[in-house]
Amino acid sequence: MSLVLAADYRVPDFDRWWNRLRGDLPRLPGLGAHHVVVYRAIRDPNHVFVTIGVREREPVDALLRSPLLFAWFDSAGVTEIPPLFAGQIVEKIDLPAAPPPAVPPAPVSGVPTPVSDRAGVVVASIVSVGEIDQLRASVHHAVARITASGVRRFWIYRALDDGAEVMILQELATERQADQWIRHPDASARFMAEAGMGAHPPNFVGRLVETLEVPAAPLARD
Amino acid sequence: MYVCLCLAVTSTTVQQAIDNGARSTEQVASTCGAGSICGRCRHTIRTMLDAAAPDTAPRRTDRLRRRWGRAPG
Repeated sequence: MSLVLAADYRVPDFDRWWNRLRGDLPRLPGLGAHHVVVYRAIRDPNHVFVTIGVREREPVDALLRSPLLFAWFDSAGVTEIPPLFAGQIVEKIDLPAAPPPAVPPAPVSGVPTPVSDRAGVVVASIVSVGEIDQLRASVHHAVARITASGVRRFWIYRALDDGAEVMILQELATERQADQWIRHPDASARFMAEAGMGAHPPNFVGRLVETLEVPAAPLARD
Repeated sequence: MYVCLCLAVTSTTVQQAIDNGARSTEQVASTCGAGSICGRCRHTIRTMLDAAAPDTAPRRTDRLRRRWGRAPG
């Protein structure tokens, strides 16, 4: 199963980082990476949430101390390395699409723009929830209420290093729905109130910028 | 979460060091190694130390705003 690394951080200049990003991608096969997904915060154009999909080829300890991972942050101009989530997906709930919003979502300032308006607003939470199976059961039990609140994607990843820690990616159609959902969540989503504790970042609210496919490593020459 | 990439030290381990009495990044480093190599994770450790000392640290929202550039939510 694929491993997912995720981090919430600020870059000094998003546009500059974005322009350099494609140049960095050819180095990532060295990590075993196959995809990079970039989300950009709605209220802070230099605040990003990035997930990197990695084929499991080596122990996570070796992966974390790879110079390529440090180079990833160096290239972005990030000097203080953020805490890194490492985990695997355990639940993918894709919910029926809600009716389209009356007002199209406002574009994020600067370039690039989201892939489409249908990309919606993503709320990313990394929290400790105790019993993950209990969370999964409560989410399944509340699917109708969650859908009614505008959530159309609910993915749960279990941390490798802590059996009680999860990363949850939720997608809603609009910023207003996301704001409402964070402020007044269903009982099954109260974990969002735990974000921001200790090493965990606060809830990230942003839009998908792009899912980047990492080019395959060139074949070694004889 | 992994706080220190150099030594793959998790937030749980750092928290244990703090719970066991570490009161500075140097003490955390000597207890579990986190922050002892490149030092680029020390800001995270500092945030965790602040959170463990609520009487002397700024309010939680202030710490988070400084650390993440915004208040939670």
